[in-house]
Amino acid sequence: MNLSLTDKIGIVGIGHAKFGKRTDATIRELAHEAVTPALEDAGNCASEVDAVVIGVAGDEFAGQGSSGAVINDYVGMAGKPMFRVEAACATGSAAVRAAWALIKSGLAQVVLVIGAETMAQVSSARAQELMARAGDTRWEYPFGVTFPSYYALMATAHMHKYGTTREQMSMISVKNHKYGALNPYAHLQREVTLEEAMKSVTICHPLNLYDCCLISDGAAAVVMANEEKAKKLNDTPVWITGLGAASGEMMISERPNLISIAASRIAAEQAYKMASITPDNINVALVHDCFSIAEVIAYEDLSFCKKGEGGKLIQEGQTYIGGKIPVNVDGGLKSKGHPLGATGVSMSVEITRQLRGEAGPRQVGNIEVGLSHNVGETGQYCFVHIYTR
Amino acid sequence: MRFGYVSLLPKTETETKFMEELKNNRLMGTRCKKCGTKHLPPRAHCTCGSGEVEWYEAPKRGKLLTYTIVAFPPESMTKYAPYIIAIAELEDGSKLLAHITEVTPKNLKVSMQVQVVPHQISAERIAYKFKPL
Repeated sequence: MNLSLTDKIGIVGIGHAKFGKRTDATIRELAHEAVTPALEDAGNCASEVDAVVIGVAGDEFAGQGSSGAVINDYVGMAGKPMFRVEAACATGSAAVRAAWALIKSGLAQVVLVIGAETMAQVSSARAQELMARAGDTRWEYPFGVTFPSYYALMATAHMHKYGTTREQMSMISVKNHKYGALNPYAHLQREVTLEEAMKSVTICHPLNLYDCCLISDGAAAVVMANEEKAKKLNDTPVWITGLGAASGEMMISERPNLISIAASRIAAEQAYKMASITPDNINVALVHDCFSIAEVIAYEDLSFCKKGEGGKLIQEGQTYIGGKIPVNVDGGLKSKGHPLGATGVSMSVEITRQLRGEAGPRQVGNIEVGLSHNVGETGQYCFVHIYTR
Repeated sequence: MRFGYVSLLPKTETETKFMEELKNNRLMGTRCKKCGTKHLPPRAHCTCGSGEVEWYEAPKRGKLLTYTIVAFPPESMTKYAPYIIAIAELEDGSKLLAHITEVTPKNLKVSMQVQVVPHQISAERIAYKFKPL
């Protein structure tokens, strides 16, 4: 095997299942729907795949234990080295990072990464219950803390400290739905008005329905390869040139503050440094908008604006296509959906599409550099990847 | 006795002692004998790796840092909704998450002074909660 630690690592194949309430498909079938186009895109390279990394966040929703084994067999990869990774809502980005490391180490040259989750087949109250158990089950779960409420605690603190408004948070939702309406793979392909977003039912004050991402089923896949293989498998590989990752305290009350996610700041700094770029060089970003306030805070943590000015950035329209830095032009978690294990891989798929110029009506332009930012839980995990053509 | 409205984990020695003290209106944390770090709620082991911790009584007064009114609860908490979850910073700088009661959404304010009190949820269940000072 030719191994050079200076080799670049690229994405050479992408595939995406339709996100939504997919009662028509099981998790293995959703994975197949994403893997088939990804392998085709990478020059029908199934036989050249020499490792598989699978991201599924939880087994409780699907009722199938060890989903990695089920998916791996179903997509025809039985026999290859395979493992599953878990990093809550950031599972998919953890899988991409693991694949990158496998290739960099020389253990593999071509890796198939699959992210999948089925969540929408249980009631919303049940889904809240299952997700709440990812909080601290000793001292937080006993108070009925849900994921919307964790982010609502951050929203109240951010609004108090910086004057961020309900209207600005709703503007995030309006933007992401505008782009989700243009994404054929999105769960909810329709626009919402500012009035609709602001007047929707309260989930956890100050967050209402349109501040919360969707509970979705879905899958996404990418094929990654070392430089030599990448150039053979695809004419337009997209290189991952920067990676950053960090973790955070388990209990939200133990965080140094509630107006920033420290893991995001650390991961972003690492990724910018590794890619030798600054935030000004980013042409398109996909950030973790599990809740509207999370996108506002991400703008600040990723240094797209100064601390406290995230609300102003969306209000000025700077994160729309044509603005200073277009964000979540695929609809984001809000409109595209958030099947936990699939989300991070879906981000890599969209950035690849954008850098190839294949994003159709939501194409940002002829661009060079993209960023994905994926948070697990409320900052217990964070992964930032930077991509170039 | 169990802690909180709902519980999933088995009861430990640390939790049992904490609840006994809480019943007598004492809010107890643990302090690491090696590095001095305080843990509230208590931990049996410190993040520095030490298993030598001692009990200390935490202050019960503090100010509200943030809050949320939960209108849409998880399945296990349906009968308690809506409820208000808050985080307060206590006088020694430690932070605690709990429900706050005896307050209306209108007079709920970040920075308001609060007190930690025991909350006997039922004969079998206890927690701490905040109330305005």
